[in-house]
Amino acid sequence: MNRHLPAIFRSMPIHLALVLVAVFTIFSLLSLGATYLVTQRSFDQTIRADLRQDIAGFRAAPGPSALSQLVEAEARVTDPARMVLSYIGPDRRHYGNAVIARDDEGYHIVTDISGDPQIEGQYMALTTSLRGGQLTIARSLAEIDALREAFLRVLGLSLIPTILIALGIGLTLARRSAQHVSTIARTLDKLTGGELEARVCPAPDWPQDLATIGTRIDKMASAQESSIAAIRQVSSDIAHDLKTPIQRVAVHLSELSEHGPLDATARDLLDKANAELDGIVATFHALLQIARIETGSPKAGFETVDLDRVCATIVELYEPAATDAGHRLHYTPASGMTISGDRHLLGQTLANLIENALRHTPAGTDVRIELNRIRDRIVLSVTDNGPGVPEAERELVLRRLYRMDRSRTSPGAGLGLNLVASIATLHGATVGLHDAMPGLRVELAFPATRTS
Amino acid sequence: MKLLVVEDDETTGTYIARGLREEGHTVDLVTNGRDALIQATSAGYDVLIVDRMVPQIDGMTLVKTLRGAGNRTPVLFLTSLGSVEDRIEGLTAGGDDYLVKPFAFGELSARVAALARRAPTVAQETTLHAGDLTMDLLSRRVIRAGREISLLPREFAILEHLLRRKGRVQTRTMLLEAIWDISFDPMTNVVETHISRLRAKVDRPFDTDLIQTVRGAGYRIDA
Repeated sequence: MNRHLPAIFRSMPIHLALVLVAVFTIFSLLSLGATYLVTQRSFDQTIRADLRQDIAGFRAAPGPSALSQLVEAEARVTDPARMVLSYIGPDRRHYGNAVIARDDEGYHIVTDISGDPQIEGQYMALTTSLRGGQLTIARSLAEIDALREAFLRVLGLSLIPTILIALGIGLTLARRSAQHVSTIARTLDKLTGGELEARVCPAPDWPQDLATIGTRIDKMASAQESSIAAIRQVSSDIAHDLKTPIQRVAVHLSELSEHGPLDATARDLLDKANAELDGIVATFHALLQIARIETGSPKAGFETVDLDRVCATIVELYEPAATDAGHRLHYTPASGMTISGDRHLLGQTLANLIENALRHTPAGTDVRIELNRIRDRIVLSVTDNGPGVPEAERELVLRRLYRMDRSRTSPGAGLGLNLVASIATLHGATVGLHDAMPGLRVELAFPATRTS
Repeated sequence: MKLLVVEDDETTGTYIARGLREEGHTVDLVTNGRDALIQATSAGYDVLIVDRMVPQIDGMTLVKTLRGAGNRTPVLFLTSLGSVEDRIEGLTAGGDDYLVKPFAFGELSARVAALARRAPTVAQETTLHAGDLTMDLLSRRVIRAGREISLLPREFAILEHLLRRKGRVQTRTMLLEAIWDISFDPMTNVVETHISRLRAKVDRPFDTDLIQTVRGAGYRIDA
């Protein structure tokens, strides 16, 4: 229900204004209603007392004829619209300014005046047997009706402007605060998107509560920015502290290899040490890169990237190596495959996926790289027709991609795919592993750029 | 050549200096940024090899200061960090090339040579020569010993790159950067397979090999 209303009617100031109007209306109605009831009752009593007084006045008449003359005299000067006098004497003759008749619909007052014999309106009547006849006096209740109208008019005059003013103020406030709220929302979106320098900066004319929220968000963003700067500093410190000894080991190994003739065993050990060192460096670089991607804001360096060019370059780079290893690499060029991203990281992602496919499938396997546009996504897929990965394990691999698992058995490969996952996440892409029947298909679904 | 090495780690610094001296260069080694600034401004060097993290004045600030003072000596940054971001940061600060630790000496030596000879390239030649091979850049034809060699576009690009840098070693990573614009480290034999394809066409059918392998460093076509 709420969802169908324009956003502004769901805003807080409008809600408050509406609640205020409702409360005010209820109170006005209650107090006016109570006043009305009390006044009406007192009017009622007054009229009743007047009627008793009237009857008492007629009681003074000594006999039926005197009474009928008195009634006639009084009736001549009394407007039946205000008061009706009616006396039916012992001889069943009628005296007075109107007749009170009764039919199926109730009592009616009928005058002797020609033209408009029936008199509308409410009356209060008192009747009594007097001097052998029946005296009835009815006083009009028009004053009470007028009172009700007056009360309704007062109600309208006081309520309608109040409601309009309250709604107007509420709407103005809502519109103003909507602007502030959208400023806050935009800033939060930027912060989420990696623009760590984005701030709300509430202006001095902001309402106090929104200004407080804005200031707190700015404080939080500054704290986040500096803590990320600190993490980056720490990671570059760690990199330096670890790279220095690694470089020394490389130096020592290099000096050792130049140090005169080495026998076969020593040469073998040296090669192994070099290979291990390469592994350490590769893992370290991958870790460092993942940490940087996940803490940093490399999105700032995003540009429009044609994935077709990235794929063509990487496939071309790997084609000879794949062929030598007995694999076949296929890529069909596709046009209009642009996304917003980092060219280098995207190239590295595809390279990792191709290396992974080459490493885990036997010679003779086809590896197919494809780009497809599926609705508003561009799907980069690497499909092999190798032995594939059982479904249960695919789940495991996927989970391992997103949550660095320490139980990795094959070094290098694991981190390579972790890097794929973190680069994909950076680009707003999802990673999927599917059964290619036979083989494995890895899919990265990127959001396409708006204009293509 | 006269080279200045700015490296605070003694083992690495001495190793670089010794290696470069063995190649016949004159090398000065300093271990902090302040000494580096004094040395670089007082003596004329052909290339500066600067670690990005050295005490007193860090490498980035050092190079920015030198560039600000109009010193245009080519700078090779040595760094512990390897991301594209860091690389761009280093290059915008005025560095000319970027080498991630740990590096093999061959890589360093090849890059220093490339920087020193980067001087005015009169790239207006339309033909390149090496031995009995001629490459015509306009018609994109390669002829060796009177026979035309048909090359794929990428093979042509690699050969052109090596021919333009005759006598200088081009390492795997230098080729990856120049030919494919790739700054990450792919599977080790990717470049080798491209070179061996090229060799199969350019060298194998002939008596002498033009493309030399420099052990532990890269490839070179001798002048």
